[in-house]
Amino acid sequence: MNLAGTLRKVAAFFWRDFAIARGYRGALLLETLEALFGVATFYYLSRFVQSPELTSELPTGTNYFAFALVGFAFFDYLSVSLSAFDSSVEEARQNRTLEALLVTQTPLPVILAGSAVYPFAALAVRTCVYLAWGALLFGFRTQSANWPGAAVILLVSILAFAGLGILSASYTVLFKRGNPAKWVVLGVSGLVGGMMYPISVLPVPLQMLARLIPVTYSLEGMRAALLAGAGWKELFPSIGALFVFAAVLIPLSFAVFSWALRRTKITGTLTHI
Amino acid sequence: MANSVITAWMPAPAISVTALEKYFPPALTGWRALLQPISRSTERALAGVSFTVGEGEAVALIGSNGAGKSTLLRILATLIIPTRGHARLGGFDVERDSSGARGQLGYHTGGDEGFYGRLSARENLAFFAAMNNLSRADSRARIASVAQSMGIQNELNRQVRTFSTGMMHRLGLARALLHGPAILLLDEPTRSLDPLAAADFRRLLKDDLVRKGGTTLLFASHTLSEVEDIADRVILLDAGRAIACDSPRGLRASTRTATLEAAVSSLTSHFVPVQP
Repeated sequence: MNLAGTLRKVAAFFWRDFAIARGYRGALLLETLEALFGVATFYYLSRFVQSPELTSELPTGTNYFAFALVGFAFFDYLSVSLSAFDSSVEEARQNRTLEALLVTQTPLPVILAGSAVYPFAALAVRTCVYLAWGALLFGFRTQSANWPGAAVILLVSILAFAGLGILSASYTVLFKRGNPAKWVVLGVSGLVGGMMYPISVLPVPLQMLARLIPVTYSLEGMRAALLAGAGWKELFPSIGALFVFAAVLIPLSFAVFSWALRRTKITGTLTHI
Repeated sequence: MANSVITAWMPAPAISVTALEKYFPPALTGWRALLQPISRSTERALAGVSFTVGEGEAVALIGSNGAGKSTLLRILATLIIPTRGHARLGGFDVERDSSGARGQLGYHTGGDEGFYGRLSARENLAFFAAMNNLSRADSRARIASVAQSMGIQNELNRQVRTFSTGMMHRLGLARALLHGPAILLLDEPTRSLDPLAAADFRRLLKDDLVRKGGTTLLFASHTLSEVEDIADRVILLDAGRAIACDSPRGLRASTRTATLEAAVSSLTSHFVPVQP
């Protein structure tokens, strides 16, 4: 299959999911308002939080509100990565489209990638809404931001997180529901990944743990690019670490998912709910 | 284990099944269910089935519930991996070259599921057409054509969630035919269709697809009149074994019975594995 054919299939997945989401316009509006409430909550929390330790850890010229907003908005990429593949498999099994898809001439990696395109596109819009609310109403400033750097950080973050997401989906393929791996990754990442506070405030063992998970590098790089306007040289450690995570996790996750799918084809439980 | 091997000479088999066996693991519950993916397969579903289907031939799989018809079709559709033996579609091994095999087949289970309810029938068909490598122009033309054949041309813009079971079934058949597959695998193709629609569909299968189009058809059915109407040959499965393979007329003659039902009844109550 050529590249154009593959892209056309990925586009078909996007339009499928967009058309389904279009049927729930009220939900889209409510999500926009929900983002406003979330941003407002961080703003008022940041006015309350005044710690010299926190302030000293922030990039020069920024405040805790900007730090938390970026952390919250971009941590979502991990959450969505962990649920996008998982949910697409579960929904496809529930409505029996998984079987219908698997007998088509579309290879599994394209099905997985295609199923994740819309959730990531929707998340990109949501991130923009978060940042826009912050900028419009609460003084969030990104004049010095390195946008190309932020885009590269985002891209390699998505690749690294997608590896975790496909591993999570492998569990769902095998065991159907109640995915503990997803909650462990989200829980640990939320605790030590630096979403709401710099990891320097954590005990040393947890700081070491933070260095073993991709979201730490993603948030550090994103804050450096957006809030401090860091150049490529300063962003390189984050980009490099995320690239290594992606290079390991993507092939590993496809191998594990293929094994899981093969096992369900052997046990005949592919479409069991 | 006794294998029942049935061979029939065909110039170029579209479907070739050799000594196919399938065992499933027993259903586990509670904490033991965590071991299900790696547990041993001990429950027999197919026990050494062999047959071939020639290009443009219509062959019916018949047998009681649990005989192995759906398992066999699902193996051919690359949805299940056989325990032992081989199956090839258009020369492609369903296990080793499943991608090539999928390029040959259209598959429909006769259920009313497998669609996106919030999308229209047209959007659903266009999505699956894209998944089967049809260009936009080809997709539009094929959707119009198969919708006409299935009698759903006026319903294409309706959301699928508003479809009746019978309409959904027709849509499923339309999807299976969308990319003009060389081999059509159908599991109870007229289930949920009203008698007139079922008759129309049988005509479509027999006259348009098989006779004129040269499509190879392998279908499972419990409706013996339908089998007599469509099938050139019948494969009778019993407890995972193929115990007979002949034309409907041949089965009646060999069992000296007047109807296919009586022939099947006679064969399944006097089980004698067919030797190669």
